[in-house]
Amino acid sequence: MKAATDQDHMEHTDHMAPTEHSGHMNSEVMNPGERADLLGEPLPPGAGALIDPVAAAPEDRTEDEATRGPSHEATYEATYEARGESANEAARTWEALREWDALPERDARVADRDVGRDMPATATATAGVDADSAPRLRPSHRPPRQPGPSDETSARRGTADAGIDTGAASGTGTGTGIDADADSDSDSAEAWDDGLIARRVTEAGAAVLAAEREADSRGQGSNPPPPLAYDGPLRSRLDALRELVGLSRTRLDNRTLAEAGRVLDEAAARRKLSGRHTVIAIAGATGSGKSQLFNALAGVAISETGVRRPTTAAPIACSWSDGAAGLIDRLGIPGRLRRRPAHNPDNDGELRGLVLVDLPDHDSAAVQHREQVDRILKLVDAVIWVVDPEKYADAVLHERYLRPMAGHAEIMFVVLNQVDRLPGEAADQVLDDLRRLLDEDGIALGEHGDPGASVLALSALTGDGVTELREALGQFVAERGAAARRVAADVDSAATGLRPVYAAERRVGLSEEAREEFAARLADAVGATAAGDAAERAWLRNAGRACGTPWLRLWRWYQGRGDATTGRHAARPQAEEEITARQRVEQAVRTVADRASAGLPGPWALAVRESAVRGAQGLSEALDELAARAGMPPGRPPRPGWWPVAVLVQAAMTLLQIVGGLWLAAQIAGVMGPNLGVPVLLMVCGIIGGPLVEWSCRMAARGPARRYGQEAERRLREAAAGCGRARVLDPVASELLRYREVREQYARVVRSGAGVGVS
Amino acid sequence: MVTLDVRPQLLDTLSALRDRVAATRFPLPLPGAARARANRDELLAQLDDYLVPRLREPEAPLLAVVGGSTGAGKSTLVNSLVGRRVSEAGVLRPTTRTPVLVCHPDDHHWFGAMRVLPELTRVWSAEQDPVDDLLLPAREEPTRVLRIETAETLPRGLALLDAPDIDSLIADNRVLAAELICAADIWIMVTTATRYADAVPWHLLRTAKEYDATLVTVLDRVPHQVVSEVSRQYGALLTKAGLGDVPRFTVPELPESAWGAGMLPATAVAPLKNWLVHHAQDTAARQRVIARTAYGLLDSLQSRMPELASSAAAQYAAALRLTSAVDTAYDGEHARVRARLQSGAVLAGDALKRWRAFPLDCTPAELLDALVESLAALLLCAVTAADERIDEAWRHEPAAEAPGLADRGLSLESAEHRIGLAVRRWRREMEEYAEDEVRVLERTSAPDPEIVAAVVATALLGGRRARNAGEGLADRMGAQGALRLRERSGRLLTEYVDRVMHAERERRLAALEAFDIQPAPQAELIAALSVLQKER
Repeated sequence: MKAATDQDHMEHTDHMAPTEHSGHMNSEVMNPGERADLLGEPLPPGAGALIDPVAAAPEDRTEDEATRGPSHEATYEATYEARGESANEAARTWEALREWDALPERDARVADRDVGRDMPATATATAGVDADSAPRLRPSHRPPRQPGPSDETSARRGTADAGIDTGAASGTGTGTGIDADADSDSDSAEAWDDGLIARRVTEAGAAVLAAEREADSRGQGSNPPPPLAYDGPLRSRLDALRELVGLSRTRLDNRTLAEAGRVLDEAAARRKLSGRHTVIAIAGATGSGKSQLFNALAGVAISETGVRRPTTAAPIACSWSDGAAGLIDRLGIPGRLRRRPAHNPDNDGELRGLVLVDLPDHDSAAVQHREQVDRILKLVDAVIWVVDPEKYADAVLHERYLRPMAGHAEIMFVVLNQVDRLPGEAADQVLDDLRRLLDEDGIALGEHGDPGASVLALSALTGDGVTELREALGQFVAERGAAARRVAADVDSAATGLRPVYAAERRVGLSEEAREEFAARLADAVGATAAGDAAERAWLRNAGRACGTPWLRLWRWYQGRGDATTGRHAARPQAEEEITARQRVEQAVRTVADRASAGLPGPWALAVRESAVRGAQGLSEALDELAARAGMPPGRPPRPGWWPVAVLVQAAMTLLQIVGGLWLAAQIAGVMGPNLGVPVLLMVCGIIGGPLVEWSCRMAARGPARRYGQEAERRLREAAAGCGRARVLDPVASELLRYREVREQYARVVRSGAGVGVS
Repeated sequence: MVTLDVRPQLLDTLSALRDRVAATRFPLPLPGAARARANRDELLAQLDDYLVPRLREPEAPLLAVVGGSTGAGKSTLVNSLVGRRVSEAGVLRPTTRTPVLVCHPDDHHWFGAMRVLPELTRVWSAEQDPVDDLLLPAREEPTRVLRIETAETLPRGLALLDAPDIDSLIADNRVLAAELICAADIWIMVTTATRYADAVPWHLLRTAKEYDATLVTVLDRVPHQVVSEVSRQYGALLTKAGLGDVPRFTVPELPESAWGAGMLPATAVAPLKNWLVHHAQDTAARQRVIARTAYGLLDSLQSRMPELASSAAAQYAAALRLTSAVDTAYDGEHARVRARLQSGAVLAGDALKRWRAFPLDCTPAELLDALVESLAALLLCAVTAADERIDEAWRHEPAAEAPGLADRGLSLESAEHRIGLAVRRWRREMEEYAEDEVRVLERTSAPDPEIVAAVVATALLGGRRARNAGEGLADRMGAQGALRLRERSGRLLTEYVDRVMHAERERRLAALEAFDIQPAPQAELIAALSVLQKER
């Protein structure tokens, strides 16, 4: 894209030189192909060839002259005068304005407030000068600045928005709707580049745009159209949508995001073009009288009507006021198909700002007509659907167009044409039936002052009801809200389309329970419970051995001598690999991923699962290592403080037995005097006391043994859980967080659906 | 000149073919399935409502169906042809929702019985106010009806059917209209001056051409001043579409025709009426009309049957792909389970710790418990992994979205349950084996059968890493007994593992097999067609 803009830039500089000199030339009619390229808008193949700027320019020019009314004359004169006064001065003022606006914007959005504070000042300043469309570029408006050649370059370096916002700012001077503009200026000063999805406006591109505006402003006799400004809620929704698309890029495929991208592109493209004009297309079935209505509104036979079906093969545009060339370029309508309405002093003011487009049919056997209709319907600000008594219930109209566009009801007129063919009551009957069908399509009807589609009955042939339509259109166009509402409806429908990939069926997230279960499964995989049991029992055995009577120990040794144990030997030798149960780890990861992704929309569920699987790679090996490390308690098992005492007492008991025994033996041998009582007592004490001590030791050792075993188990369990958390749960949680972020962003896109048009 | 001569064999083969077509099913949601279903229904309607009755009774009256867009003036045309208001005409679209059949009183019996259009309930006359009927939404009438009117003004041997529109919002209307048109000897396509370039009616015209049906077009509602121009243009369009020889009638827009009055002067429709009367009464012309439509339909079978057959084949191919995805996944996992068993993966984690502590700090029961649990975990892991692989493979198959194939939310818990059951049964049987072996041992100090069972299980499941378990077993039981026990239990283990994997695979395939998609219908359709061609 950068290359393209660079090239444009080059082309433009070439092309600018003559424009600068040719003062009068209406440079607004630039090569549409070029313009379209700049905006990234794909032109239909062959459109470039059709468009002939050389032919278009004079034509428009003459029409300008022809249709300019007396009320315009003054404006023209004044502007002309201003330019005549000092063309250079004016140009410099322009640049200055541009730079002045651009300055705070260099610091992205933070500067918004500053601009907001500053802008009303300009607005009031300009507003104070003249309420009508008087010369705007008076030196007296000049803000404080450093005049000089550096201005020009800095203006060109400014961001694209600088250029655009300057346009918006200058709009305050046009005198129509000053208040509204002053409001929106503060908004429009915010940086609104195309961001992630559309062509990011590069410095070079910005320069081109700025230069282009400049060229327009210099070369053009009439006012450059101030670009459209979206109000706050809509802009924040667009921002949210752009961010949403950016965040989702890696997760969703392009096809899913295509519609949202298109909406953003169109919103950006529309925003750069005139906000004073409203483009309304007349669409309908073949033979419904679209062209007839078009002609009735324009007051002249512009569009060919006839009995041959289908009649109109290419869209025709008709603009009620100047400055709409960019908008018509965007529709890809060549210069030779642009018209002016018949001059009529009564109606001129009424429909000012209206750009009417007559479309081909959507239901004839000529497929290319339908393609054209589909393309242009996406670009216009509002649609008049023309139906007739014969065709108003056609499936094609309702199923292909009205139902999918139900969200666009606010920018829709439905007109029942040819009521002259219906006898008496029948017209009302048909109109009611049409309303019912529209209601079934889900289209809100604008009755009783509610926002929604207007339904009218008229006859383009006799002129019945055309005045009402004209009034309705006049009011609609004067509001200048259609473009923003259209974009808002587009955002709504894009959001609805994206709903399945963002909205969760239920509350998502990893519950504490699921985390614990995962830890438990990992502990099972490394065998924490068994390890704890084994440690406890081994400790208890050792305790018993240590505190047991020596005789018992002797017996045990004797027993154990012949019986080579299997288990103990097995455990010792080889350094084991794969201590961890692989299948259990795998299952644990799968379960936790399933739990985490339950209820998530498809792509995000997949992402969560993938992150879990990726994290699980090497988890088993890590657990192996960990089990080998943590499984073996460091050093010797701890001994309780009473243990030496117990051993001592046991020894004392043994000693008592021996002493008693020896004493008895000595008596028997006659070495000592016969005294049975004491030695027997001693021996009995020893014999009973030994096992007693052993038993009580075992009882006392139970507690510490359990503690020891639990400690071993806990250590292993915690190590495994920690490992699992770091490798699997954390990535999963961050993926879920990412989803939640996106979800919030999506909610932001959806939320303010009702608040459109309210700033 | 083609005439209709019907042999009974032809009728037999035709009804055989009809049965084949009726038996074809397209349960999998493949891209072309909806279309194939529609094609089958259409073909069936044509066979049932037109071809078979017509060949059976060539003397039955001609049926001319008036079809066209909504608001084209079909009802008005029928009323005008009959000469009295038999079908309600109106300004609200779509007007006609109940088809109306008009015939001469003498022909009444042909249509009163269920000879044609058997699935439509007959209503004899319009007793109830047709306006009430009109106000009722179509959905509230579950049974579709056909109103039959008689009129003396119509000649014998001709019946007119006023069909609903082909392109309005009411989908039922469109379906019904298509069905009715299928039953016609003569297709009367009505279009208007504003409609004649519409895409939808042109589709129908092309279809008529494809089936080579007897076709008549009426250009209705043509304003006086442009009659010749519009008529010429329409003619040009028809010629361009290869329908230049189709009889074309132009009816001007007259004040009488305007919206709701419902009747045109007889002169306006006289040419059309004459044409119809001539074809109904002149034997040769009548024969020609019937033969053309009937043979056109028979000829169209040549391309339509293979189309159906290929759709059936696509269904079978998709089913095969789904099945093979399941087989691949389960085969792969089965092999993995075997490899894991071989390498002793079961003896890991808890089981391994227990085995190390055995017999000093661990009872044989605990060791066995741990081993059995570990084995169950291995099998469950294999099954869920296989399911995951199947889901992955099926995600790219449109056919996998068929109802009942994808949802297995409940089955996972029960899979765990089933596997646990199988593994515990294996343990019990193995313990019995161990007891048997110990009993036959002639040693004085016979080892505890539980210990033997635990050691055997370890030796079987531990692979290489439990080599000394085998040695221990041999010490306890003697080499021969140990070998015998190991072999028996090993066979048992393999059997159980195979059984578990097989059962789970079958469960997964059950939903698919319930659709019963066979390769046979494809061949049968083609066979029926070739028999039919031979009979002609």
